[in-house]
Amino acid sequence: MAKRIFTSAALTFTAAAAGSAITTVSSYMALKGGSGTQTIDVLEVLVSGKATASTVAAMELARASTLETTLTTLAAPHSDGPAHPATAALAAPALPFVTAATHPTPSNTVTDAKLNLALNLFGGIIRWNASPTQQWTIVGNTAPGGESLLWNSSTAGGSTGLADAHILYEPY
Amino acid sequence: MTFLKKSRDGEIFVDHRASPGIPAELARKFGYHPDQVKEGAIFEAPTLGCPHCGANVVINPLRTRARAHCYRCNAYVCDWCDAAMHEPDYVHRTIKEIRELVASGNWELSGTMHRPILRKIGGN
Repeated sequence: MAKRIFTSAALTFTAAAAGSAITTVSSYMALKGGSGTQTIDVLEVLVSGKATASTVAAMELARASTLETTLTTLAAPHSDGPAHPATAALAAPALPFVTAATHPTPSNTVTDAKLNLALNLFGGIIRWNASPTQQWTIVGNTAPGGESLLWNSSTAGGSTGLADAHILYEPY
Repeated sequence: MTFLKKSRDGEIFVDHRASPGIPAELARKFGYHPDQVKEGAIFEAPTLGCPHCGANVVINPLRTRARAHCYRCNAYVCDWCDAAMHEPDYVHRTIKEIRELVASGNWELSGTMHRPILRKIGGN
């Protein structure tokens, strides 16, 4: 019931194919529902490139068609916290993570939504902010609606590069 | 209720002022005009939701043609839904109404989101 910000620091977004489980640790940002009935609204995504040479990254926010197994709890320098300091903890908090024992699979299904956030990571910045009622919604904690991930799609022509990013979201 | 039209805007902001930008071929693949994301360019555009089909539309700042408006919703509608609105058998339904009908379990949805076909399936 309060906005939270999931931030990654100096993550190398390794380009990976849609429809296959990601194979590189700490190369994506995933957000999963904390319970089978939780709804999460994603309100903003920002990616600021830190590559040292021209690197076009096909960043996408996509559904996970197969969920991860045994996610690793987020650790510094990455972070996830409420935008308002006096926020009460949810009984079932949302689960942000950047690595897991088996990584999630970004959906390659034509009827699953994807948000195009392509940019050149050599100094490029992209920010998407949802218009009212047009937020990206995660529902429950099962595939594909219960988990979404920000990743770099080699399927869409992306190349691996370094970036910082944040996802502003509101769990209910 | 009165409102500013801009209050319904979302935003997409792509900053390549300090970057070589996206090559023309890839820019087209990603749906941009190459000039919008070339070296030194900044692309900033509002996004709007279509209340009829639920799509999220990037408002192209280079567009000179008129944009559609639904006077029943008093809101922007996308081009595809605007075309459907001009058809003789058009029935006005918002995405919210369609969602409620389908959630009731009494209606089945087929067709496209611009031209939805709702068929009654329950006894109610």
